[in-house]
Amino acid sequence: MSATETGKGVRMILGWLRLVLVGFVVLTLVYWLVSAYSRSVRREALEREWDTGDHALDRDAFVAAGLDAYRYSLRRRLILLVYVVPAAVVAAIIYIMNF
Amino acid sequence: MAYVKWTGLGLVALLVAAFLHYTLPQTDIVRIVGTNTQRVDIGANSWFFSNVEIGTDPATANSRDVQFIQTILAGSGRPMVYRNQDTGWGWPPYFKVNSFDVQAQATDLTSTEAAPKWVAITHYGWRNQFFTIFPNAVSLRPVDGPDVRVIPWVSIIILILLAAAAIFLWRVWRRFRERTLEPALESVGDAFDTMDARAGEARARARTRWGRFRAWLAGLGR
Repeated sequence: MSATETGKGVRMILGWLRLVLVGFVVLTLVYWLVSAYSRSVRREALEREWDTGDHALDRDAFVAAGLDAYRYSLRRRLILLVYVVPAAVVAAIIYIMNF
Repeated sequence: MAYVKWTGLGLVALLVAAFLHYTLPQTDIVRIVGTNTQRVDIGANSWFFSNVEIGTDPATANSRDVQFIQTILAGSGRPMVYRNQDTGWGWPPYFKVNSFDVQAQATDLTSTEAAPKWVAITHYGWRNQFFTIFPNAVSLRPVDGPDVRVIPWVSIIILILLAAAAIFLWRVWRRFRERTLEPALESVGDAFDTMDARAGEARARARTRWGRFRAWLAGLGR
């Protein structure tokens, strides 16, 4: 394969690669936003829970323990769907549009 | 000041609406009267043509063969010409790579006024004679008659998702402001309060100058 032919092969892949890269950057931003939001909602709920109840721990320790539990929760793992769903949608669109 | 604000917001809304109107799929009921492929030397209207077909050499990108579908619109009976190009991996994200198959299908569905075959043609984009731009036909399907009603489900779903995304972003911003920004500003504000007395005189001067500027802007609107 000559140098120019290699160039063409690379260019053909390039469009796909650019989509993947831009998509990854954008989705990472979305992932970061969603997880920050979700964590903040959880924190506020924990603070409220402490404010209304009678707890042995002090407020900061109670919230920290709750956030530790949140780290291994299903809800936090489900945020990974931010990457999975768009990839599946793109695959579905390619199939529906063309075949 | 209100005029400037509303003009600005109006322009932004107009741009967003135009962008969505160009990009979202629409469906026309047409009768296809012909298909052809034609050399196009793309110039200032290049924004409104897609890139070269996926996998082909982009070196001669500004002069290429473009497939066209000529039709007569049901209802108005006016002519409408569509281009038929791959969008590939680019924008807008239709991921269309089968323009040659669409062209074959369009040629197959060609009919005469005497024995019409009606076709629902899904497309995005605009036809404009002054810029020689054409909507891109994305897919075709035969339909029973010229009065078939097509519900634009895809556009409905996309608009709902966009609205949901906007609401989510608004809520993220509000939460950030209430729980992060304002507590931080409050502690900064305490520090500023001690300097306030000295800055008072300077601030009063700035305020009147700003007030004069606003009065001048309001005067422009009348």
